[in-house]
Amino acid sequence: MSALGHYLEEEGIATVAISLIRPQTEKTRPPRALWVPFQLGRPFGPPGEPAFQRRVVLAALGLLELPTGPVIIKDFPDDDPREKADPSWRPPSLPAVPADRSPSALASRLDAEILLLADLHRRWIAEHGRTAVGLSGLPIQELCGYIGEWLHGREPLSLNDQFSPLLLLRFAADDLKGHHLEAGAAAPGKPSSRQLYDWFWSATAAGSALIALRHMLLASDSERVKLIAGNFLVPPPYVPSTDRPTMIAGPAMGPWQPGQ
Amino acid sequence: MVRLADLPPSQAQRLAAFECPNFTTEPWVTGPPLSQRRVAIVSSAGLLVRGGMPFRGRDPDYHTIPPGTRPEDLLISHVSINFDRTGFQEDWNVVFPIDRLNELAAEGTIGSAADTHYSFMGAAEPDLIEPHARELAGRLKQDKVDAILLAPV
Repeated sequence: MSALGHYLEEEGIATVAISLIRPQTEKTRPPRALWVPFQLGRPFGPPGEPAFQRRVVLAALGLLELPTGPVIIKDFPDDDPREKADPSWRPPSLPAVPADRSPSALASRLDAEILLLADLHRRWIAEHGRTAVGLSGLPIQELCGYIGEWLHGREPLSLNDQFSPLLLLRFAADDLKGHHLEAGAAAPGKPSSRQLYDWFWSATAAGSALIALRHMLLASDSERVKLIAGNFLVPPPYVPSTDRPTMIAGPAMGPWQPGQ
Repeated sequence: MVRLADLPPSQAQRLAAFECPNFTTEPWVTGPPLSQRRVAIVSSAGLLVRGGMPFRGRDPDYHTIPPGTRPEDLLISHVSINFDRTGFQEDWNVVFPIDRLNELAAEGTIGSAADTHYSFMGAAEPDLIEPHARELAGRLKQDKVDAILLAPV
């Protein structure tokens, strides 16, 4: 982000960057940056809090009017109030994840779980007017079937001729997570992101399925499969201790190439 | 999902120590008061309009977010899974504060919000992004943009 500021400013347009990782900003030294003490993924703070977001935007844009620089790095003073857990939130009621967490058993649970969460996901869309699910372009049942194929040890053909099978798996996994997180957030209350992710990774068949799939694919003969499965299915805090390391080293992943 | 401090120490250190470009210049552009500025958002969240091609790998180019894009049209395709998506799911302004910019323009705090905004994918290599960024600058200047709000995730 800071590099972008450097390039654009060199081309003659004033920039101000939001910074989420202050050490990176201090090293790159963009013309102007506002460091915010928020979690990664929330550069403008809490959702549904327009007054708070406005203060962040104004604090950033205000740096454009400071006469001295470069470099300006200022700190936003307030924490995101939505980072706090909401004790009133009750996660959706789902059957306990079965003791048999074999990939094939978990695959069979995925479809049932989608049906159990269907009402909540419809409620989410009705209340928010949107879903952020859709990278794979597949309906939720179809993408679960696709992930199920991988869980059964098969490498299915891609269902989208613009995506390789592995790329479609990554997008399908993103969509599955997104679907469940929206359904979970539709339950009464205003859960923090931590509450939602803890629920997804500990109490849903979908979370267990992705953890199992990661574990399974790390035994692949393909370095590319190991790289994608190891780094882009399960966030490090939720990788089981038996499956460490949390990040898989591999060749630098450059721009996309045909067939990837 | 987490703050940097909440990540496993090895990963937090890796992010903090991420290799950054070592620029030898310090560009600095001034301009008129905010009330006369035209502001565009340039995100690095890997945003795309639904139906478009998501960012793959570490694609260094950018996507256009055209006028009239609605909240239900916008998706995130950033390759990293280490940041929270639930804020964006609930409210696109968490990542793409277009409603806030439009409000500031309507009340005259800023001159105007640009009609078109843009997104890169932040995990791309900076030196590969550079030519695309410089090309984008030309488009922004054609649109009379003189202030850019850079929004990471």
